[in-house]
Amino acid sequence: MAVVEINNVFKTYHDTEVEVKAINGVTLSFEKGDFAVIVGPSGSGKTTLLNLVGGLDQPTGGEILIAGHRLSELRSSELIDFRMDHVGFVFQSYNLIPVLTAAENVGFIMNLQKWPKEKRMARTDELLSSVGLADRHKSRPSQLSGGQQQRVAVARALATHPEFILADEPTANLDSKSAESLLDIMEKLNHEEGMTFIFSTHDTRVMKRAHRVITLEDGKVVSDEIRTE
Amino acid sequence: MKDYQLAWKNLWRNKRRTLITAASVFFAVFFALVMRSFQLGAYDRLFKNVIESYSGYLQLQHEDYFDDPNLDNTFKIDQTLIDQMKEDPNVNDVVPRLESFALAAAGSHTQGVIVLGIDPDREDKVMKISNKLVKYKLTSGTIGKLKNDSIPDKTKKLLDVFSNEAYYSEARLMMDLGISDEDSATILPIIRRHASISNGYLTENGTSEVVIGDGLSEYLKAGVGDTIVLMGQGYHGTTAAGKYMVKGIIKLPAPDIDNVIVYIPIESARELYAAPGMATSAVISLNSNDDNDILQTGNRLQKIISDPMIIKTWQQLNALMVNQMEADNKSGMIMIAVLYMVIAFGVFGTVLMMLAERKREFGMLVSIGMKKKRLAKVISLEMLFIGFLGVAAGVAGSLPLVFYGNIHPLKFTGEFARMYEDMGFEAVMPTMLPDTFYLWQVVVVLVILVIAIIFSTRKIFRMNVINAMRA
Repeated sequence: MAVVEINNVFKTYHDTEVEVKAINGVTLSFEKGDFAVIVGPSGSGKTTLLNLVGGLDQPTGGEILIAGHRLSELRSSELIDFRMDHVGFVFQSYNLIPVLTAAENVGFIMNLQKWPKEKRMARTDELLSSVGLADRHKSRPSQLSGGQQQRVAVARALATHPEFILADEPTANLDSKSAESLLDIMEKLNHEEGMTFIFSTHDTRVMKRAHRVITLEDGKVVSDEIRTE
Repeated sequence: MKDYQLAWKNLWRNKRRTLITAASVFFAVFFALVMRSFQLGAYDRLFKNVIESYSGYLQLQHEDYFDDPNLDNTFKIDQTLIDQMKEDPNVNDVVPRLESFALAAAGSHTQGVIVLGIDPDREDKVMKISNKLVKYKLTSGTIGKLKNDSIPDKTKKLLDVFSNEAYYSEARLMMDLGISDEDSATILPIIRRHASISNGYLTENGTSEVVIGDGLSEYLKAGVGDTIVLMGQGYHGTTAAGKYMVKGIIKLPAPDIDNVIVYIPIESARELYAAPGMATSAVISLNSNDDNDILQTGNRLQKIISDPMIIKTWQQLNALMVNQMEADNKSGMIMIAVLYMVIAFGVFGTVLMMLAERKREFGMLVSIGMKKKRLAKVISLEMLFIGFLGVAAGVAGSLPLVFYGNIHPLKFTGEFARMYEDMGFEAVMPTMLPDTFYLWQVVVVLVILVIAIIFSTRKIFRMNVINAMRA
């Protein structure tokens, strides 16, 4: 079964008198273990599509199913719970909580889900080790480099075993070395744990590693290339 | 991590802003409490002065006497009624008075005075008159003698400042003249030798002796042992005239009474005014002076007495002063309201800045699964922490000052003191100890915080996650 199914989705914005079709009849599906990137010029609808898939926004037409759940049937408070349980987010600018340590940031969603302390700590240890930050538990975001912060963000996104991770330009603010290191970790998680990643990016480094490259233009899928190793 | 822990951590992400906001709340609470404490303390002192040295908390009067205070509106007071009233659990004693007006003359000076006929022993139990009898007087002659004696220069300089002051308390004399406890053993005997005056007290009914107010004594230039003449109109239009020896001087804390009061034994007054057995009022001494108890006692006594007598409470007896204080109280409250308005804008400034600055973070938190309700709770806790930090510091900061001000009241001197006394107030401003007015400051800050919380919660619930993430 597909993790994400996007069926003929439209997203139209009404800007005063102009109607903007940000997503114009997109149909896609993502399987478990996909390592896919959505590329396209600025304004092509990449981020809008990611927002729709992440349940942050509602389409004006069509439907999206995540692990069999129809997003349009969920109320806004149910959508928040749904996102917490099923979707992991990695943002361009890390978006860690500045007053919390790396371990507290990773444990934040587990905390929201009221995991027992021991289980939460064990999972945090496991995740920070898997992103190579086992020795930075107590570091605050301000004490970490950009690459390290993004790795903490990945660990946070993985915390509650989501169905897939949405990463919006995750390497945009990173230097080459940090970006490669981050992608290594993501690739490893994809290979070893079968974690599904959906990226939106302009970064060729990400594109090179992707198994599937979807190109959007003017809100439409113009190509969907599946690469075999 | 609990919500309050997250809120507390968030509070210190911008230390300076948190401290500035908490400090603004601190200053508002601190100044409001200190100002209010002085204001309420001054009212309390003023009321107590008038009530405990003149009007009493409850009085029995002829129903027409309050509006038309003349001797024709007197009543005959018999022991049976007094005994009946004393059966009330809150009534300690019922002390009759015969009060009227007269012209007092001593030498070439004359002054309109209140002649208060009292039962000396019983009145003393109610009004503690003997405690207010002047023991020391710093007349110019006395000061001259003291300056030639061996007292420290600092005290000599202060003598001029307190020239013509009268003291019924040695502690007050020491405070004014800057005499320390260590020096008192050597300096006080010298002052006692030159400044003390021997007082008598009206214990023998029927004698032609009076005790007069210190202000009146100064005006008439009549000291202990001098004679004054009282002239006025007696009961049913008779002529009242008599010659009396000043047996003591009393310094009352309410200057407008101190300047005109003549205490005389009630039998002497009845003789002077040709009103045997009559009284213009009876002061009712109470066991509990709590406002509620006073009111309830008054209501109970009202049922015992019959026409034409009525019970008047201290508020009715001092209606003008109560109204003046209420008006003054309102102006004080307006000032405090302005103070809190300024603080409210400060708190709102912080809230607005915080909401704008952390918009993206709020968007991120909601996108990863934090419910808006929970986010609003964390932000509300942050604001409550700031508010309570400021309130706690304000209350803690005000307490030492308020307690100190209560034990050592602010005492005005010179022209300022005279101005106060001319208006009928004692030139002393004590603070009032913490009472419900402390609670009110907390309530006001809480109201400001609740408004700020409602505002921020509304913003959070209306937040569009995608727009917030773009911020």
